[in-house]
Amino acid sequence: MKLFEDLPPMDHLRSEDMSLVQIIIPVESAHRAVSYLGELGLLQLKDLNEEKSPFQRTFVNQVKRCGEMSRKLRFFGDQISKAGITASPCPASQQVIDLEELEVRLSEHEAELLEMNANNEKLQQTYNELLEFKLVLLKAGGFLVAAQNHAVPAETELVESKYSKKDDESLFLLEQSVQPESSSKAGLRFISGIICKSKELTFERMLFRATRGNMFFNQAPAGEQVMDPVSGEMVEKTVFVVFFSGEQAKNKILKICQAFGASCYPVPEENSKQMQLTREVSLRLSELEATLDAGNRHRNKALASIASQQWNWTIMVKKEKGVYDTLNMLNFDVTKKCLVGEGWCPTFAKPQIKEVLEHATIHSNSQVGIIFHDMDSFESPPTYFRTNRFTHAFQEIVDAYGVARYKEANPAVYSVITFPFLFAVMFGDWGHGLCLLLGSLILILREKKLGSQKLGSFMEMAFGGRYVVLLMALFSIYCGLIYNEFFSVPFHIFGKSAYKCLESSCSDAHTAGLIKYRDPYPFGVDPRWRGSRSELPFLNSIKMKMSILLGVSQMNLGIILSYFDAKFHGSFLDIRYQFMPQMIFLNSLFGYLALLIVIKWCTGSQADLYHVMIYMFLDPTGDLGENQLFWGQKELQILLLLMAIIAVPWMLFPKPFILRKLHTERFQGRTYGILGTSEMDLDQDPDSARRQHHEDFNFSEVFVHQMIHSIEFVLGAVSNTASYLRLWALSLAHSELSTVFYEKLLLLAWGYDSVIVRIAGLAVFAFATAFILLMMETLSAFLHALRLHWVEFMGKFYHGDGYKFKPFSFKLLADEED
Amino acid sequence: MGFLMTTIIFFVVGVVASVSVRLCCNRGPSTNLFHLTLIITATVCSWMMWAIVYLAQLKPLIVPILSEGE
Repeated sequence: MKLFEDLPPMDHLRSEDMSLVQIIIPVESAHRAVSYLGELGLLQLKDLNEEKSPFQRTFVNQVKRCGEMSRKLRFFGDQISKAGITASPCPASQQVIDLEELEVRLSEHEAELLEMNANNEKLQQTYNELLEFKLVLLKAGGFLVAAQNHAVPAETELVESKYSKKDDESLFLLEQSVQPESSSKAGLRFISGIICKSKELTFERMLFRATRGNMFFNQAPAGEQVMDPVSGEMVEKTVFVVFFSGEQAKNKILKICQAFGASCYPVPEENSKQMQLTREVSLRLSELEATLDAGNRHRNKALASIASQQWNWTIMVKKEKGVYDTLNMLNFDVTKKCLVGEGWCPTFAKPQIKEVLEHATIHSNSQVGIIFHDMDSFESPPTYFRTNRFTHAFQEIVDAYGVARYKEANPAVYSVITFPFLFAVMFGDWGHGLCLLLGSLILILREKKLGSQKLGSFMEMAFGGRYVVLLMALFSIYCGLIYNEFFSVPFHIFGKSAYKCLESSCSDAHTAGLIKYRDPYPFGVDPRWRGSRSELPFLNSIKMKMSILLGVSQMNLGIILSYFDAKFHGSFLDIRYQFMPQMIFLNSLFGYLALLIVIKWCTGSQADLYHVMIYMFLDPTGDLGENQLFWGQKELQILLLLMAIIAVPWMLFPKPFILRKLHTERFQGRTYGILGTSEMDLDQDPDSARRQHHEDFNFSEVFVHQMIHSIEFVLGAVSNTASYLRLWALSLAHSELSTVFYEKLLLLAWGYDSVIVRIAGLAVFAFATAFILLMMETLSAFLHALRLHWVEFMGKFYHGDGYKFKPFSFKLLADEED
Repeated sequence: MGFLMTTIIFFVVGVVASVSVRLCCNRGPSTNLFHLTLIITATVCSWMMWAIVYLAQLKPLIVPILSEGE
């Protein structure tokens, strides 16, 4: 053990040392100091004004202004994307603009944009109206012209469904009924207009009912699509003309037109006047088009100039808002001339922070320096691991279960290797491993390019885990070589197989099988097994035993880590009454099983291990008979059983009683309560972490907690060991799927002579491999390896109830809001 | 090649890997210890995997029985 004490502390094993610090900043250098701290990004400030609502805080106005500015920037962003301008941000022009200046500029731009938009809308509306007028003129004119051509002087009145038998040609209803010449003579008038095509039918029916049939309705589709002012979309419209007589009818019709949103336009009757009007309208339309175009171009130019700066401005505003939010967390001191703040920072960062604060003092020409000093804390510090891009992904995986307690052993140290390893045990196929390797290498080699651009959520996850995938691929190749599977095909890479036929004619190869005539295949599973009838029993036996062995090893590693944790925290109670009984219990039962497995393999005995384990419990003194693997097995089993039975109360009872004894010893004589101790400073912050916590010792709570812990361990020992059998299950599934795809897709297709069938088979095989084996199986094995780590491994020693160190950092702000 | 021989080979490979990692990226004692831990873990895991499969085939209880059509 002396060796372990001499070692330096391992990187990543435990959180960085954190210290609680207090900073006192004079008001004039406050803003600058906080911005510099944000650039550095190594200080997490505590919110000293937690009870205050957002409106009671000191810098609420500035925060509101920042909020306004970011709203304006978002508005610009919307307008820019609606106009379809691609923003090409120019990072080179880093003009240092003052915040007030930016505010003024933003409001100017906004006013300008709003005005341009309003004008644009008005113009667009006028344009639409004129367009509709033109359409009405064109189509309605057609009706009226037709009406006039067929004006028969004899019949001047409007006749309802009267078919003229005079004419030979089949006259349309239009020409028959619209016989009068001029409307003014017979009191027949008309209203022309345009209406949405969808409403046209109901409109006609309504008119018919309102005028009791004393009207004639004619319509024609407008031909062009017009922009509907309400919805802003292009809709089909219909031009209509309603012929009626009488003043009341006119009012009714006008009201109905209004209700249906039909726009009415007056069309003159004479042909010449219509043509003149049409010409005028067309002229005005082209003018308006030109004006609209000019307006749009002007607006787009303005938007483009904003677009180039928008990204920079957004970042600036975000930073300012962050600074003011942080300033809001500080308290004014008694003299109202300084701001006081408390926060956590890593101990190694203290010199850097001091330097940054000095710079702030110098640059803001302040007379008073910033005070920065340590404080004692009773609260638990946040956990901080300095990860690089390789270890970051693994730490994220562990943190997803729970952030480590301060100074607790970090399972990520071992997970870097064991997680990809367990994945590979379930995935083992070196052909698929090569594909994964290719994918991960592509991601890693294009790291810089992919890191700077925005990726979709799936690609982002894949990119974030590129080093995990790399390790998974490497271990998969290794495990694939051991299982001897290359897209389920075995190879004779490592020499000749250990099996051959008994006779050269191989007559009983299909009944009694081959014989083993040499040493076992030097690396991995013998290739002769593939395709044989006894392949599955053999492989299942290996993989199940392998799962148990790997599981027992990993669980032992977990318990040993709990020993190192207990030693680090100096908790000898935990070592003696938790670590030792746990080790004894697990190893006397499942460690013994692992030992039996290895002995059975080495001696080639035919003992039935199920029988041995079960009868160890049911009938420990009974005779083992042919299940005896070594001399003295019965006595050893009885001893191990007794040790396991003793271990259970050993881990259950002593610890709560001893804790109670220790507690009463420590707080003896303090049972009268503490009356405002003299240690408390008068101007102490009520929120600060220096407040002492008085703990009552609740014996029943501690006892129940210990009982739960022990039961969880004892029952968990069985269930967790069985849980590791998923390593066998998934590897079997992978191997079988792979075999099926190979034999039933590729070989079957290759059996035919035609090239098309072969290529089709190859394509289907490739698709099936890529989607089912490479994607689905990867995710599945990933998930199961994750579960094994989170529950079976980390459950043995990890508490995971800490909180993460979240410094005030501009870089983090930019990342999190995206 | 024998169980013992291959175990020694694994051990030697592990030593070589840790030495080369120490030579190529020497970043202070804490980080060196971390790298050493990774290498040791990887070596042990790989060795265990190989040893399990090797031992299982040392004295097998069943032999391959070829299926029809081979």
